Amino acid sequence: MNLVQFYAEHSGEVLGLIGQHLYLVAISTSVAIAVGLPVGIALTRRPRWRGPVLGLANVVQTIPSLALFGFLIPLPLIGGIGARTAVVALVLYGLLPIVRNTYTGITGVDPAVREAGRGMGMTDRQLLLMVDLPLALGVILAGVRIATVVNVGTATIAAAIGAGGLGVYIFRGVAMVNDALILAGALPAALMALAADGLLGLAERRLAWRPK
Amino acid sequence: MRGGRADGRTGGRWLAVAGTALLLAAACGRRDRVVVGAKNFTESDLLAEIVAQQIERRTHLPVERRLHLGGTFVCHEAITSGRIALYVEYTGTAYTAVLKRPPPPIAGAESVYATVVRDYAQRFGLVWGKPFGFDNTFAITVRRRDAERYGLRRISDLARVAPRWKAGFGYEFLERADGFRGLARAYGLAFAAPPTAMDLGLTYRALADGNVDVIAGNSTDGQIEALDLVALEDDRHYFPPYQAAPVMRAGLLRLHPAIGPALDELAGKISDADMRRLNAEADVRHRDIATLARDWLHAALP
Amino acid sequence: MTPALEVRGLRAGRVLVNDLSFTVGSGETLVLLGRSGSGKTTTLKLINRLLEPTAGEVHLAGERAADLPVTRLRRRIGYVIQEIGLFPHFTVERNVGLVPRLEGWPPARTAERVRELLDLVGLDPRQFSTRYPHQLSGGQRQRVGVARALAADPPLLLLDEPFGALDPITRVELQREFRTLEGRLGKGVVFVTHDVREGLLLGTRIGLMHEGRLAFLGTPDEFRSSDHPECQAFMSAA
Repeated sequence: MNLVQFYAEHSGEVLGLIGQHLYLVAISTSVAIAVGLPVGIALTRRPRWRGPVLGLANVVQTIPSLALFGFLIPLPLIGGIGARTAVVALVLYGLLPIVRNTYTGITGVDPAVREAGRGMGMTDRQLLLMVDLPLALGVILAGVRIATVVNVGTATIAAAIGAGGLGVYIFRGVAMVNDALILAGALPAALMALAADGLLGLAERRLAWRPK
Repeated sequence: MRGGRADGRTGGRWLAVAGTALLLAAACGRRDRVVVGAKNFTESDLLAEIVAQQIERRTHLPVERRLHLGGTFVCHEAITSGRIALYVEYTGTAYTAVLKRPPPPIAGAESVYATVVRDYAQRFGLVWGKPFGFDNTFAITVRRRDAERYGLRRISDLARVAPRWKAGFGYEFLERADGFRGLARAYGLAFAAPPTAMDLGLTYRALADGNVDVIAGNSTDGQIEALDLVALEDDRHYFPPYQAAPVMRAGLLRLHPAIGPALDELAGKISDADMRRLNAEADVRHRDIATLARDWLHAALP
Repeated sequence: MTPALEVRGLRAGRVLVNDLSFTVGSGETLVLLGRSGSGKTTTLKLINRLLEPTAGEVHLAGERAADLPVTRLRRRIGYVIQEIGLFPHFTVERNVGLVPRLEGWPPARTAERVRELLDLVGLDPRQFSTRYPHQLSGGQRQRVGVARALAADPPLLLLDEPFGALDPITRVELQREFRTLEGRLGKGVVFVTHDVREGLLLGTRIGLMHEGRLAFLGTPDEFRSSDHPECQAFMSAA
């Protein structure tokens, strides 16, 4: 089957699946940022937690995605079959790069700059907002980029637990031994990952402060 | 835990796929090794194990198991390309999904069997063994309390509630010729939204947890009783008969003629009740498949 | 007249800084001289409470430092360190105007103050306001550092080896300029250095620190003629 022809005949379905896929990635990455950024900042203030927290995030990262989905399904509130479980899993995967990069970004800020800031009477909050975050922004955005790109790929596996998205074509293609169908799902997912990588890379270069 | 277990297996399947190339390359050198495959659900694994043990004890040939490979089409691809030599298929599945024939006339179990035997030999060079005896049809399944509340006994009763209900199916059922689309047409089922597609092994959990309201299981599945579910009657005879029987490469029987009689011993020996019990032992009580197969063989064919 | 800084019985840890007492009047520069690890930098950090003293009191222009909110206190003390610590993502103008902005000055007044200060430290505002720190030479950066410390017109300046990392020529240049600046500013200055020549040039008084204590406190002339062995050790090095 010709891919162009397939898309022409199933345009509504394709757009729907792309929408679901974007939804899964957008929601999970947003939540991962909303949770990961404060956690990363907290780690710079409480270095003793660094080992356990980053260790835990590392362990989560090593759980194969299908297994993680499997573990989550029986859990009340966050589990079950469908998009919610998938989002929870994707958030967990997205946390590590964001927490780690927030932490390394902030701890990488020149200590003299932070001492000068404190010495001039900046509050912790001012130091964070005016010094730490702007100077760490490039590294933090790189973490967000990694989390997003990884989640675009991992979200395809979410189709196994009824979360929809482009993985639906891939799983259907695997079940039917139909390469065109697999490609129909894999190709837009790959393009989506490339687009996310490119756009966030651009944001990184535009927004982040970098020495010449 | 059913979901977790099925997931683990599916994960394992990918590893298996990755490893398959290497192992097969090694296996090619040893032509006396009989490779038995299975589809990705418990009953298929159980039957493959029974077949494998029967071959081992009657012919003393080494048997290699490739269980939980994938769906119908994955297994069909594997056997036609020679990656496996044998697996257990269902006549109705072969008839509609693989041969893509229109639904057969009512209750023609023998004619369906005769057709697949003839067409498989002609088109694929594959040989069907004798049916094991039971018939495992698709079981359109709902929760018992819903069945009682809405008075659902037959699939045709489902049309009333469908517009408010959510369906969940495995990927294969959504695509097969004897799958969801034909079913919806035959019974006039119009669900609120397109069915949720998910891994086949998760459908029972999704139904029991209330994520979906109706699924397509198998009539011999142990979970139907264990999870307090009800299978609706196929009152319009949409589904063809699904007799389980071994499918083999013709070359296998030429190379090892003893396999034929060994498998013939199994003909008609597994009843619907036997199969349901074995599935329940494996899926609900989590008993080891190899042990279940050995115990059953010793009892049925001493 | 109230001194810009009064330190009484200051102590930190066991021996880091031990029983330190001195006053610095407005227009006066106290140079804290000493070897590495003698407690000079610690003393500065105890004054602006980057470190908390275990005992003793610090009074800033008559107010007890411990009674002020720590950020208020620090905004009233100019602080210059050797590494300068300019914010790399801020222009010169924003760096210098930082404390006024933290203090909520109207933007026009901040801008006026920044121009005035850049002039004072010998940088043409039209040329330098919009530059970033990485576009400046080491000497220019330290001038910006001094301007930034003076921005909110604090009664006291703390300088921690501000010229230590500069090349010898720039260093002498800045030392001379700072010497003329001191007199014009009329602020209390505590200047930490281990360079005795720099200390004698810039200090109205010299405090020699040794093992956390003030081993000597007096005018440069008194320092030169002191028979304290540590003073003599420094004099012979010069």
